[in-house]
Amino acid sequence: MKKMAFIAALFGVLALAAPAQAARVEVQWWHAMSGVLGERLNELVEKFNASQDKYTVVAVAKGNYDEVTNGVIAAYRAKRPPEMVQIAERGYMTMLLSGAVVPVQELLDQKGYKVDFSDFIKPVASFWSYKGRMSAMPFNSSTPIFWYNKDHFQKAGFDKPAATWQELEMQLYAIKAKGVSECGTVLPGDFFWSLLENYSAINNQPYGTLANGFDGLGTEFVYNKTKVVSQVARLKKWLDDGVMQIAGQGFSPEQLFTSGRCSTFVNSTASHGNIERNAKINWSATFLPHENDINPPLNSTIGGGAIWVMKGHTPERYDAVAAFLDFVAQAETQVWWHGVTGYVPATNKAYGLARERGYYKDHPTREIAVLQLSRGTPNDNSRGFRFGNFVQTMLAQRSEVEAVFTSQKQPQQAMDDAVKRGNEILRQFEKLNAGKGTEWAPEAK
Amino acid sequence: MKAGSPIATSSIWPEAPAAPPSGLARSQHKSPGETVAGRSAVTERAGRARTTKRGQPDREPGLKRANFGRGAGLPTLLLLPQVLILVFFFFIPSLRALTQSVLLSDPFGTTVHFVWFDNFKALFASGEYRQSLVTTAWFTVAQNVITLAIAVVLAFATDRVVRARSVYRTLILLPYAIAPAIAGILWAFLFNPVVGPLAHMLHGLGISWDPNRNPNDALWLVIMAASWKHICYDYIFLVVGLLAVPVSLMEAAAVDGAGPVRRFFLIALPMLGPTIFFLAVMNFIYGFFETFAIIDAVTHGGPAGATNILVYKVFVDGFINLDLGSSAAQSVLLMSFALICTLLQFRYFDHKVNYGV
Amino acid sequence: MVERAPILDMICHAILIAGAMLVCVPLYFAFVAGSLTIAEVQKVPLPWLPGDQFLANLQTAWVKADFSRSFLNSIVVALGITAGKIVVSLLSAFAITYFRFRYRMLAFWLIFMSLMLPIEVRIVPTFEAVANAALPLQWLADLLHVADLWKWISGHDVAIALEWNMVNTYPGLILPLIASATATFLFRQFFLTVPDELCEAARLDGASPLRFFWSILLPLSVSNIVALSIILFLFGWNQYLWPLLFTTDKDMATAVIALKNLIPRSDSEPAWNIAMSGALLAMLPPTLVILLLQRWFLKGLVDSSK
Repeated sequence: MKKMAFIAALFGVLALAAPAQAARVEVQWWHAMSGVLGERLNELVEKFNASQDKYTVVAVAKGNYDEVTNGVIAAYRAKRPPEMVQIAERGYMTMLLSGAVVPVQELLDQKGYKVDFSDFIKPVASFWSYKGRMSAMPFNSSTPIFWYNKDHFQKAGFDKPAATWQELEMQLYAIKAKGVSECGTVLPGDFFWSLLENYSAINNQPYGTLANGFDGLGTEFVYNKTKVVSQVARLKKWLDDGVMQIAGQGFSPEQLFTSGRCSTFVNSTASHGNIERNAKINWSATFLPHENDINPPLNSTIGGGAIWVMKGHTPERYDAVAAFLDFVAQAETQVWWHGVTGYVPATNKAYGLARERGYYKDHPTREIAVLQLSRGTPNDNSRGFRFGNFVQTMLAQRSEVEAVFTSQKQPQQAMDDAVKRGNEILRQFEKLNAGKGTEWAPEAK
Repeated sequence: MKAGSPIATSSIWPEAPAAPPSGLARSQHKSPGETVAGRSAVTERAGRARTTKRGQPDREPGLKRANFGRGAGLPTLLLLPQVLILVFFFFIPSLRALTQSVLLSDPFGTTVHFVWFDNFKALFASGEYRQSLVTTAWFTVAQNVITLAIAVVLAFATDRVVRARSVYRTLILLPYAIAPAIAGILWAFLFNPVVGPLAHMLHGLGISWDPNRNPNDALWLVIMAASWKHICYDYIFLVVGLLAVPVSLMEAAAVDGAGPVRRFFLIALPMLGPTIFFLAVMNFIYGFFETFAIIDAVTHGGPAGATNILVYKVFVDGFINLDLGSSAAQSVLLMSFALICTLLQFRYFDHKVNYGV
Repeated sequence: MVERAPILDMICHAILIAGAMLVCVPLYFAFVAGSLTIAEVQKVPLPWLPGDQFLANLQTAWVKADFSRSFLNSIVVALGITAGKIVVSLLSAFAITYFRFRYRMLAFWLIFMSLMLPIEVRIVPTFEAVANAALPLQWLADLLHVADLWKWISGHDVAIALEWNMVNTYPGLILPLIASATATFLFRQFFLTVPDELCEAARLDGASPLRFFWSILLPLSVSNIVALSIILFLFGWNQYLWPLLFTTDKDMATAVIALKNLIPRSDSEPAWNIAMSGALLAMLPPTLVILLLQRWFLKGLVDSSK
């Protein structure tokens, strides 16, 4: 009967909760960083907490991005969201149109912080802003770059990886044929991001209509009519010829590269922290390759996450949130985060600072991502991707690409099916969200 | 009946697999139709049911003949904790989950459309769902057969040996202690075609093992992993069941010249029939519901949906794709299946004892 | 029955050794991986013999995953689930088998229904229920316009906001996992086999129902309770999805969740050696339970069949 007493004790009827009289206002930030990145994130939060005495940010690791998203959805529906949450780039439209978030730029304006949003690096700013205003605070932005084993290339008689896919293919086949390494490259776990989406941006291929979704919810996938199809066919050929390997579950693609088994690896620039620490090989990195008939290649797009602010908290808590976001946006914070993790600095000022201090002289590969992201002027094909239910469409696409890898479908057939499945998902998103997002327009204020 | 002789029906839900049917009856005459669980109760009641019916024709099902009468106060109090917990943490959440199946809503619940049975129609029209059904059928049947077959062989061997019996038993029981998520990680690692030590062995034997590029390999891998985790469950039931096979019968058969293996197949196995039926049902339920952590760790449902069983699809659609309506509709279908399974088992195990509850 | 069949006995031993190996090989490799340095664990293929870092890795894993805290949480949660489910189930099984009252069948079916839906399927609404368990009462209050009624009676404006938040509490972790009726069924089945004479005798002696429950029924149930406790403890310890979604406070993480944070992901250091040591640590308590309490567990089963 203990339980009864317990229920009686817990049941409280509250009219309007009074704000806590604690000396420091405490706010929660749910995030998806694990391992070294998680440790660095905790350091960042400690730095902020030590830098002032009014607010305390509590960082809570909630698993991977999917688990964080689910956690925040469940918590929001139960009316107990955290103040801040880190959401991956793929969840942008879901968060934007959720009606559950506070626009970051307005919050900072309103609380009197002067963050120069025009100074953010273009692909970063364009990805995380809607109708010209920043909707979430860019936090960990990355982009895929091309990692390679210097010794392997030299042994095979090459200076460095070629700039085009065509020449690179020849190099990888030569490496394999000369027995320099067992495999030319590894299939990245997020190949849809690096080898299909970023591939499309860099090679100026449309992924969907309406500027990849930037111009409206009516967007439809079109990558079954672009070079993506031949790209999938290329990957399949590499797999069949043993030039590319799949790491599979229970192992990470990165390990195939860092252990010296495979000669190259397309992966996020955020692996710098790990690779610098763990790789015993003589490695370097360069830009992602492009097709030989595309010149010049365009910018790549970002991946990673941003910090969203959730609705439903007291003004005191938003004071704390604003102070923290301002801290995150500061150039010094950015430079530090860039240095310890490998994510790109989000602002030009931070990038300039890192340059000035000669950081890239010691760490040349750290600059590749910034240069690759900011080369040229982003156009409709390279600004980023703004598809609703983007996780769902990606999983459908991944499954279809796997059907090619397992020889169940031809590349064209698989991409047609992926586009068909994807478009059904997009229509469902449109049906649910038509007419939303007006609160984000500055003039609606 | 000796005091302390528990009759345990199976829990129907695998989360608490419950004490196995242990009223494994000393009765020497068991008709195959009798259940393991109900057996001693049945034999015990065989005579009494008649008297009961004569004495109290209006007896309620599932109520003790000797009971404490009609007072409502005390039983209400006794039931209260269970009912409160169920209402708050089962019924209300479940109803809310199920109403989702006729809704189209965004994950945060700001926009909700009532769409009648669109979610179900979409499922029946979807090739992925059909593929998932077929995969689930293969997965559960194969897992069931393998688990039972290995468990039967091991149980037979355990019954034979004298030396080191408890050591074997303990080792074989170990996977019961391991969380499915951890078991999945171990298997994924061991059979990884690139680095897994066991995959290397397979390659050494000339088997081109690659679950990343061969859907059949992937399906076999999750079947083996799921079986590995569950053999211990079937095994322990069978070991206990074999202990209950009357020695006199076996001796009689031995006198007739039947060898140990023959005796096992002719006498012990048929007597274990009800246990095996019970285990088969439990294996199905395990395969249907409990294996999602294994799939998640070993294959993520891939490649190309080759291991995307129904419960994993519910999980992915609800949890990762945030398509709550479709996920809820799938839950309803799964639940209907579980209901049928449960009723079947319940009727089978219970009706003799309880006269039709 | 003992007869000599040495060849068959050897085959049996061979089968059992094969079975034991089938079980142990994955565990052995977990141990090997857990005993290597991070450089060694990345070798392809993995070495077959253990390295010398086992203790150091265990220590690192213990500290990194904060196991001293999460083990405590897991123990509390697993024991809470075990004790809670058994107490609640014993009481309700007693009620539906030994009392005749009007809503008996209704109660029975309510409990029966709860066998249908695993928590994975109703997890988001369950979160809502736990975050504010008073929500249903709130709806009721809103539905009945209690506030308006009060205003009409007293003339005062009131806002009714009921709140009962169990996020990051042990009850919040435990109660939803108790909300299923498996154990109730087990005890119900058992009670149905208890000889009626015992109850009749107790009534003749003038014992109250609770007295009968306490001095007769409970002692009879001990072996069932022990066997079920072991299973429930393992079930509680190995919970994954619910604690993962539910605990927002690091200090409330269970051992399996803490372990999950050690498993390397694509953009983090591939410290499989630490992860595997952590896995071995996290499976240690349930393994000990199986090793040490196996006798009890089997006794519960075997008693009745000897």
